[in-house]
Amino acid sequence: MKGEWILDKNHLSYWLRQLRKDRQLIGPLRDEGRDIVFRTVENIHEIVLDCPASLPSPKEFLFPQYEPMLRLNSNPSSPPLRKGVRAVEDLTDKNRRVIFGVRSCDISTLGLLDKFYLGKYRDPYYEQRRKNTLFISVVCNNPEPTCFCIGLATGPYLEKGFDIQLTDLGDRYFLQTGSAEGARTVRSMAFLFRRPTKLDYEDQYEVFLSSKAGFQKRIGLEGVRQMILSGRVKDDFWQWVAGRCFECGGCVYECPLCTCFTVTDRVYPDGIERVRLWDTCLFKGFTRMAGGVIPNEKMVLRTKRWYYHKLIHYPETLGDFGCVGCGRCTITCPGKIDMATIATKIKGLALNGDGE
Amino acid sequence: MNSNLIARQAKNNIYLPFNGRIEEIIPLAPDVGLFRVRVESQLTYSPGQFFMVSVWGAGEVPISVASLPDEGGVLDLCIRKAGMVTTAIHSLQTGQSIGLRGPYGNGFPLEASKGRDIVVVAGGIGIAPLRPLIHWLIRNPDKAGQVTLLYGSRSPEDMVFRDEIEKWREGGINVVLTVDKGNEKWNGHIGLVTGLWHEVRTDFKKAAAYICGPEIMIKAAMRDLFFLGMPDNRIITTLEAHMKCGVGKCGHCYAGPKYICTDGPVFSYEEIKKHAIL
Amino acid sequence: MKKVLTVCPYCGCGCGLYIHVEDGKITGVSPSRSHPVNRGSLCVKGWNAHEFVSHPDRLKYPMIRQDGRLKKATWAEAINLVAARLEDIKGKYGPDSIGILSSAKCTNEENYLMMKFARAVLGTNNIDHCARLCHSSTVGGLASAFGSGAMTNSISEIADARVIFVIGSNTTEQHPMIAMHMLEAVDRGATLIVADPRRTKIAELSRIHLRHRSGTDVALLMGIMNVILNEGLVDIGFVRRRTENCDSFEEALRRYSPEIVEGITGVKANDIRRAARIYAMEKRSMLFYAMGITQHITGVDNVKACANLIMLTGHIGLPMSGINPLRGQNNVQGACDMGALPNVYTGYQAVTDPKARRKFERAWRRRLPEKSGLTLMEMMDMAYEGSLRAMYITGENPLISDPDLNHEREAMERLEFLVVQDIFINETSEYADVLLPAASYAEKDGTFTNTERRVQLLRKAIQPIGESRPDWEIISELSSAMGYKMSYRGTYEIMEEIALLTPSYAGILQHRLNEGFGLQWPCPDIDHPGTPYLHRKKFARGLGTFITVDFVPPDEPPDEAYPFLLTTGRMYFRYHTGTMCGRTSVLEREEPECFVEINPADAEKLGIKDRSMVRVGSRRGFIDLRAYVTQRTPEGIVFIPFHFKNAAANVITNPATDPDAKIPEYKVCAVKVEPLSRPQKTERPPLIDLETLRIT
Repeated sequence: MKGEWILDKNHLSYWLRQLRKDRQLIGPLRDEGRDIVFRTVENIHEIVLDCPASLPSPKEFLFPQYEPMLRLNSNPSSPPLRKGVRAVEDLTDKNRRVIFGVRSCDISTLGLLDKFYLGKYRDPYYEQRRKNTLFISVVCNNPEPTCFCIGLATGPYLEKGFDIQLTDLGDRYFLQTGSAEGARTVRSMAFLFRRPTKLDYEDQYEVFLSSKAGFQKRIGLEGVRQMILSGRVKDDFWQWVAGRCFECGGCVYECPLCTCFTVTDRVYPDGIERVRLWDTCLFKGFTRMAGGVIPNEKMVLRTKRWYYHKLIHYPETLGDFGCVGCGRCTITCPGKIDMATIATKIKGLALNGDGE
Repeated sequence: MNSNLIARQAKNNIYLPFNGRIEEIIPLAPDVGLFRVRVESQLTYSPGQFFMVSVWGAGEVPISVASLPDEGGVLDLCIRKAGMVTTAIHSLQTGQSIGLRGPYGNGFPLEASKGRDIVVVAGGIGIAPLRPLIHWLIRNPDKAGQVTLLYGSRSPEDMVFRDEIEKWREGGINVVLTVDKGNEKWNGHIGLVTGLWHEVRTDFKKAAAYICGPEIMIKAAMRDLFFLGMPDNRIITTLEAHMKCGVGKCGHCYAGPKYICTDGPVFSYEEIKKHAIL
Repeated sequence: MKKVLTVCPYCGCGCGLYIHVEDGKITGVSPSRSHPVNRGSLCVKGWNAHEFVSHPDRLKYPMIRQDGRLKKATWAEAINLVAARLEDIKGKYGPDSIGILSSAKCTNEENYLMMKFARAVLGTNNIDHCARLCHSSTVGGLASAFGSGAMTNSISEIADARVIFVIGSNTTEQHPMIAMHMLEAVDRGATLIVADPRRTKIAELSRIHLRHRSGTDVALLMGIMNVILNEGLVDIGFVRRRTENCDSFEEALRRYSPEIVEGITGVKANDIRRAARIYAMEKRSMLFYAMGITQHITGVDNVKACANLIMLTGHIGLPMSGINPLRGQNNVQGACDMGALPNVYTGYQAVTDPKARRKFERAWRRRLPEKSGLTLMEMMDMAYEGSLRAMYITGENPLISDPDLNHEREAMERLEFLVVQDIFINETSEYADVLLPAASYAEKDGTFTNTERRVQLLRKAIQPIGESRPDWEIISELSSAMGYKMSYRGTYEIMEEIALLTPSYAGILQHRLNEGFGLQWPCPDIDHPGTPYLHRKKFARGLGTFITVDFVPPDEPPDEAYPFLLTTGRMYFRYHTGTMCGRTSVLEREEPECFVEINPADAEKLGIKDRSMVRVGSRRGFIDLRAYVTQRTPEGIVFIPFHFKNAAANVITNPATDPDAKIPEYKVCAVKVEPLSRPQKTERPPLIDLETLRIT
């Protein structure tokens, strides 16, 4: 599985064109001179090779914001399955995709997402999309001010967990394969690649070093977790957090590791579609029971829970923090109560005495 | 789309409901009905587990099983009309089909109470998940000591499974009933179930308890039993939550670090305290 | 997967968002990172702006009422019927027997065509839209003070302000992305002053919260200005050079000492002094207001008082310094700019000005009516009286949004002919004779103008659902069917026509909007980069005018029979009458039912428990709803959100209007509150017809 290769930059577009033959190619593109967004690539030369964190995260390709799940056809032309029972169609997405230019932090979410979705109960929609998606990640040469993957060992480059990882060495890419599918993809076009030389390794190491030096934030979450577990983060702190929450749900929608959804049935004239949509635990209706009881009616319980889930519960249940330091919540949070800010503030509490 | 394909998908897709046929709908109380659903005979489930019950176009809700699987291939679901889905379920009639997924959840730890005296505490429709437990205890008298059921409801009319209470008594269960507000015919207790501990003739320190009902009642009962000396790992309750998936994915039923659907819905007082679930 | 940059269809912030499209279907939205308003954020409504577009309830084909029921029809049938009936009514009763309601949800191009249709094709100035109900006082009040009524600054300036004075705006809930900038300013050390009777979230974030009684805004503002005058904080240079009529205004001001104002408003005199000093002594002071100022019978006076305040302190004509009415709808600014109002053409050129009229007559090759037309409320009254025979309502739902709904329903009932053009069937369409299916924001292109005057391009992401069509196409076709040819190849051609006729939009053409994030008017020529802040060297009308206003109590103050003051407003998760958000699962779920907020002291007196059912009644009607006992609302005041059909607050609101702007007084009326002895079960009606769900 593990392999290391060199790809001349001049060959990149040829390679991607070949990959596109049996997959949808998705990459970061500049939108009419403004934002950079991940979408289907029409012109390969338009791909932005060193791009900032995409909004939303690539989880949209594994767990889309709006995803039809099942369809019950009441169309008279569709034959009944058995007497009295109509066919229910499984609407699992069948598209094969290759996503180019993903960042390391997003790749490092896959391990946790797999554990979550493919545990005792396997989520078929995620599973199918995961199987059909090949990620080509790029080591971040220029981390953004919001990035802090370096403190969580989820970037800027990865040792494992990726399909194919590229490191930009100027005129060429240092290419590593980390999965069977990645290795197979490279092998099938072996003539494009050559083995790396000592010089290539040296250059790669230099890029890693300069990339690391580019980080403005270095936030580890273990200390924050300890602070919370030791009970030194008091409720008035969480009250302050809740007071600034706009209830937009942006942190959850943007987070590459948040997985909550709601399900709704849409009744069309010719059938009923069961659809799932992104949802967030920050809304009070999220836990409302039919009788009207709301277990988490107070805002403070909900904002606090989001942090507890990521910092305390994830490590307990899935073995790692529910945060990879991608910085998207920092970008999106209108109240500036994102993970980086809160983690920094909690660490500050340690210096200022108990929770004051 | 042929039927083979559907059958195969049904196995792979945890979100795809199968159909059950409504055999009978027994009204139990205002807005509460017992839906007896014919399912495949090999379907097995245990007390405390639940099914995601659905009506196409309305959605799915978690409903606890109210029967044991070997009661003739019929699954009993006790459903109160509360939200949109349960209203849709109540509009169904005998002979129509209803969507089911499951069984899900952990179920009651029947082994934990083996050989012990048992206190069953039920409030309102909370009796439903305890009903198969009662049936099981009646059927397996060797598995437990003295069984007491404390059952409270708002009024005599709201008391569900009234017709079966006599049968339970015949089965050897000490049934004690109470209501918040009685009527002229009522000659039982009036007040909260948590005021009936004196009716339980057992050594609480050695007994076990199963509790289900409104959240306030559960909290009060658990605390009382703990103070009466019952070890917190033998105070067992089953919790209710809003759910969309039933399989630990949608996130709606979170309670502390636990998902009520996959880690529960049955929890001991020990777990509840440890994880701050209630 | 395609991602199309477009503009959020909800509030006036005008956030940039991407619509995600896969196989011709919308799969989601995401915020634009570099958009100057939202900068990578969105509020919950924006994040969920994708779901309603393809909702099964969408109106998919035209419908015509036959034998009392709406039946499916073809476009040709519907257009021909509307054309014939309107011709007929115009012939019989004259053009002024027809009223048009345009829409603040439609694009500039569509509003322009609608206004052209009313004036050139039908020959009436009876055109209005929901701005009448939100900011008509602003348009009138600021126009008479400065000559132009719009937000003077840009949203991106807010973060650098030193003082932010918010009066009558629940900004965190209603303009979340503007509140985001305010919070950033506060984090950078700015002082936030909020004047609002309710303790809203923005009030909780403020340094000074002035909880004045609803309807006493003029007194409060006069009190603040009195302090500014007496403490020598007036910007004398500014007042001398840029304004007129200050002397007589000063006279009036002397009467409002903080102590007297305390008696009227209930705000401590010292708080008034503090607020006045802080506001006047910083230079980068921004004033924000919304419907808490405008929706009063003194709405125009309130606005004028705000204008006086900023002129007295010279807080205008600079970046981070000005007066900023926050507009509610995504394109309410644009609809006003486009002249979907009874008294003006595009760019606020008066219909009574012969020069302007001649310009439009020459461009449109039709004689145009000389008299101002009817306002929205007047149309409803005329319909009720019977002199207005037909109405054409686009993208609005007056039967929830207008005051005194029982009266409105009757008015609709009495119309001879009603056309409703919308994306969903709503309460108003129950009275329609013809229903025309319009395309939603994701299915058409055009331009929206947000609250900071930024004209932005709306881009088509998917094909119109069913047979629905963009409003501009429908109007063009109808107009052609009525013998006035409108043939535009696209919205860019309409924009060209607007630019030709409108000085402030003269340089705004669609190809210029394609790059970057739009242009802020005034943009007088093709090379002009747009105007981030207004009134730089002089006011639009030359000198700013101090207009003396006096405190006038609300039309219906609380009395013995109706002892509570009811104020209405909105909620974060809901938007207006719920046509869109009511079909979005997350938004619909959050606040499923209406409620009334009541102070614990009042609740105790009346024996009302939290979450119990109460009846709130006024002289016009009553509604039953749940009581939320909360400190958020002060004693003597109750608050009801107006969004709900089941307990429509506008059944009880007062239709008394401002004499100039004709805006109804939504914010104050007298009510009584009684606990309902027997808790009445509010059953949520199922959203679906259960009959159709039976599978077997």
